[in-house]
Amino acid sequence: MNVDHAATSSSLSSGSASQDAVVQLQDVHLTLPSDAGDVNILRGISLDVAKGEAVGLVGPSGSGKSTLLMVLAGLERQSSGSVHLAGADFSKLNEDGLAKFRLAHVGIVFQSFHLVPTMTALENVAVPLELAGHADPFGKAAEELEHVGLGHRLSHYPGQLSGGEQQRVALARAVAGDPEILLADEPTGNLDGTTGEQIIDLMFDLHKRRGTTMVLITHDADLAQACDRVVRLRDGQVENIAPGTGRVMPQDKVTG
Amino acid sequence: MARSWTLATSYARRELRGGLAGFRVFLACLTLGVAAIAGVGSVSSALVEGLSQEGQTILGGDVALRLAHREATPEEFAYISQGTRVTKNAEMRAMAQAPRTDERTLIELKSVDGLYPLYGDVTLNPQMDLADALAKKEGRFGVAVEPNLMDRLNAQVGDILKIGELDVELRAVIEHEPDRVGGGLALGPRVFVNDAAMAETGLIRQGSLVQFFYRIQMPEDARTNGAVAAWVDDLREALPDAGWRIQDRSDSAPSVRRFVERVALFLSLVGLTALVVGGVGVGNAVNSYLEGKREVIATFKCLGAPGTLIFQMYLVQVMALAIVGVVLGLLLGSIIPFVVQQVAGDMIPIPTRFALYMGPLVLAGAYGLLTALAFAIWPLARAREIPASSLFRDLITPTRRWPRVPYILATGFSLLGLVGLAVGLTEERLFAIWFVVGAAASFVILRLTAVGFMALAKRAPRIRVPELRLAIANLHRPGAATSSVVLSLGLGLTLLVAVSLIDGNISQQVSDELPDRAPSFFFVDIGPDQVDGFEALVRAVDGVHEFNRVPMLRGKITDVAGTASENLSVPPNVKWALQGDRGITYSREMPEGSTLVRGDWWPQDYSGKMLVSLSEELAAGFGVGPGDEITVNVLGRNLTAEIANTREIDWTTVGINFVLVFSPGVLESAPHTFLATVSMDAGEEAALQRSVTRAYPNITSVRVKEALEAVNSMVEDFALAVRAISMVTLVAGVLVLGGAMAAGHRRRVYDAVVLKVLGATRGRVLTAYLYEYALLGFGTAIIASAAGGLVAWLVITQVMDARWTFLPGTLVATVVGAAVLTIVLGLAGTWQALSAKAAPVLRAE
Repeated sequence: MNVDHAATSSSLSSGSASQDAVVQLQDVHLTLPSDAGDVNILRGISLDVAKGEAVGLVGPSGSGKSTLLMVLAGLERQSSGSVHLAGADFSKLNEDGLAKFRLAHVGIVFQSFHLVPTMTALENVAVPLELAGHADPFGKAAEELEHVGLGHRLSHYPGQLSGGEQQRVALARAVAGDPEILLADEPTGNLDGTTGEQIIDLMFDLHKRRGTTMVLITHDADLAQACDRVVRLRDGQVENIAPGTGRVMPQDKVTG
Repeated sequence: MARSWTLATSYARRELRGGLAGFRVFLACLTLGVAAIAGVGSVSSALVEGLSQEGQTILGGDVALRLAHREATPEEFAYISQGTRVTKNAEMRAMAQAPRTDERTLIELKSVDGLYPLYGDVTLNPQMDLADALAKKEGRFGVAVEPNLMDRLNAQVGDILKIGELDVELRAVIEHEPDRVGGGLALGPRVFVNDAAMAETGLIRQGSLVQFFYRIQMPEDARTNGAVAAWVDDLREALPDAGWRIQDRSDSAPSVRRFVERVALFLSLVGLTALVVGGVGVGNAVNSYLEGKREVIATFKCLGAPGTLIFQMYLVQVMALAIVGVVLGLLLGSIIPFVVQQVAGDMIPIPTRFALYMGPLVLAGAYGLLTALAFAIWPLARAREIPASSLFRDLITPTRRWPRVPYILATGFSLLGLVGLAVGLTEERLFAIWFVVGAAASFVILRLTAVGFMALAKRAPRIRVPELRLAIANLHRPGAATSSVVLSLGLGLTLLVAVSLIDGNISQQVSDELPDRAPSFFFVDIGPDQVDGFEALVRAVDGVHEFNRVPMLRGKITDVAGTASENLSVPPNVKWALQGDRGITYSREMPEGSTLVRGDWWPQDYSGKMLVSLSEELAAGFGVGPGDEITVNVLGRNLTAEIANTREIDWTTVGINFVLVFSPGVLESAPHTFLATVSMDAGEEAALQRSVTRAYPNITSVRVKEALEAVNSMVEDFALAVRAISMVTLVAGVLVLGGAMAAGHRRRVYDAVVLKVLGATRGRVLTAYLYEYALLGFGTAIIASAAGGLVAWLVITQVMDARWTFLPGTLVATVVGAAVLTIVLGLAGTWQALSAKAAPVLRAE
């Protein structure tokens, strides 16, 4: 992992990809037009994330965290700079190409879940599997829901589930296709402490078990610290990077 | 209670400040339906009013008397011409031939005297006086003809025409004949001659099928409906046995008026169907409006507002909008007659009085408001019932609770009000009832099928193609538009399919099947002295397969089982038999195509009291049977015969058959002519017609093919009008469909974005929507085709008693058309959803 920052080595600012980097951002700018003139949301971000690494993105509101995540997901296009994920150059992919890329490589969890309200839990989780042509999308979806402890809620609609349950469905949906990269935008922001804790445990459990690369936006300093590294953004730029402490999983707590 | 309404109204006013977004479809549905009904009503009022205002012009006099076969006797003429002006016209069908081009055609010949016309003007081209155009000049009479005669004979002004035995000069083309509407179905173009010329044609012989009209103009002070009616009463009393058909200015063209009124009734019922289809859109709009108001309702409830206040508050808003829609519809509807006048004024063959008619507008307005009520009360009452807490979850767990009884009753009363207006305000009550029953049944069937459709989609096995599975799932998801789309689009389609199939069947009968079974020619006015020679001539022509001839007279039924026919009250299906005169015949054997129902046929050598065989339909309608007596006026003589038997007649054979067949005897000695039918190879028809006209100029030949073409083109014109109005219903259905699409738009944008986030390409999202709309369109079309087919089958086989022909082409066209329409509209509505950028949508949630 390298960060293009005054304090870091310049060897990685050349843009050349390191062998095990799954995410490579090189001088990414994003400018959006607004009534009051153009707004520079991202102002030259360079960032590499290694395979299997968990990175916490922190920073005050308006620092560009969510926009950066959108860029990583291919849902927002950078104005300049380069974005490579899993070896793919986003600037060479059109909208459909990006969709296919997400299908194959990326899972996303949002703060406000973004489940399809008119689909049951099972159907929501099955969607990416179906799209990918999975042999048994509903079997796999049920399995994933079991994993997040929702085996008894398969046929419930999102409106019939609590916030925590909805986020567990969203998580199951995000990881159902075994993505290499899991992006999460304040996944606990809409949940109470205990429920949020459960979700985080689940996420780190999956990250560990499957070796998924994870980029996690959060306001929660403790949670950020649980990642391998913490990247702090301010005004669309990387302010600093610090190593995290790593996550102590519940089973570790018990056994340790 | 009053305070509650005041409060509700003031809250409603505050809420309406927020604008009318989401009510476009609501307004469009009401406006369209109300405009259609108001338009149809206004146009038909203009026509009926025109008929009644111009009564004397259409009739050609204040009173018109019609006699078959004979002229008025000197005594009769003396009576009717006392203090009045009388013009006499003889009208008959005859043949005209143009020696220059050697073409011939059937014509509607009319002789006029110097007084004609009493009302209105005849306009000719080149402009000249009618009497002048017809006068004898240089030893030759003139004729004025309708323009289409020129085409048929390939003739021009100045040509010599041969009519009967007389050569006449074609002097002018008729541009306007004031009393044209009053005449019956025209099989050929009108030709005017004067009295003297008519006499010289040799066409008027004893028994020939000529009708004499006496059109009477009252003195100026007696030209009121009342005075005319009194004069007619006196006439009936003074000359009870004349056997004439009497018409007066108060109802100059009853059959035209009846036709206009029936068509208007049918079209307004279709308009009402459109309104009811639009009602589904009204209900949907109210539903989704309330959906958006859930928080407001919840807040009001939290603040202690009772359910009744909530109901009233939104009822006031909805009805205020309904009034806007109705007023717009009325404005549009009242303009329609003027548009019709501008666009097609010249093509309308009857006089019109275009103006603002309040009656139809009030009626259309009432229909509009009742429809809005009927469809709005339900969702309003449900919103009032739902506790604030569950308001937020209705999309996922639809509340199955029914509204309270008073609201259900209010909905029921509004619907009853609609039916009551539709049925109560017409004389054709039975027809209106059947229409309402049919529409209601279709409504229920479509609603049930929609439910079944959704249940089926829900139970469908999981399909491996994710786009298709998504589409099927979208059909039955909570909040899906399936039900209202199937209902509204389906009702319009059902009507269109029914109309198309009925029209198609009639056309099929008239243009394809009838000619196969029908004879090639009818020949009329064959004199008794000509009949043998005529038969020999026909049989000598190549290609003749069959020749039949029967004696024919015309007579008017004046008395049935001791009751004068004007005092008889009979069901509508046999009324025609008492209006004017009927063709009658006599025979020793029972005519072909008849089946004896009651009584016995008379023996071959019967000679005794005059007997008559009556069609079973008439006998049943008159309530008579064998043993009863019936009196018929023939040539001014009343002949009374005992009913010997009744027959079921198969009219579809188009052979010769009569509702009244008398035993030989008295009628044999009355002056009469013969009617003959000839079946032959189509290729030789022209040759036969040529040789008959040459040998017997007075014999009129009706080429069945041409007559059927004339009938068919009338049927086609009528069907076109019906189909055009049916389209209004379909447009209403499309509006509802569009409304449903718009209501689901936000959801679709969101769904599309989430699917794209999960890795679906635009193509795959599009495919899923395509499948969904195709399923919806095809499903609806198939259901509607079945329902429409059933209606058409019932009408053809049960009402019209005709043979049913299945027309797969019509059905396929409907199904494919409807599916394409749904797909195109659906995709048009979804396109925006597909291209929505993900980030803003995700941020907004």
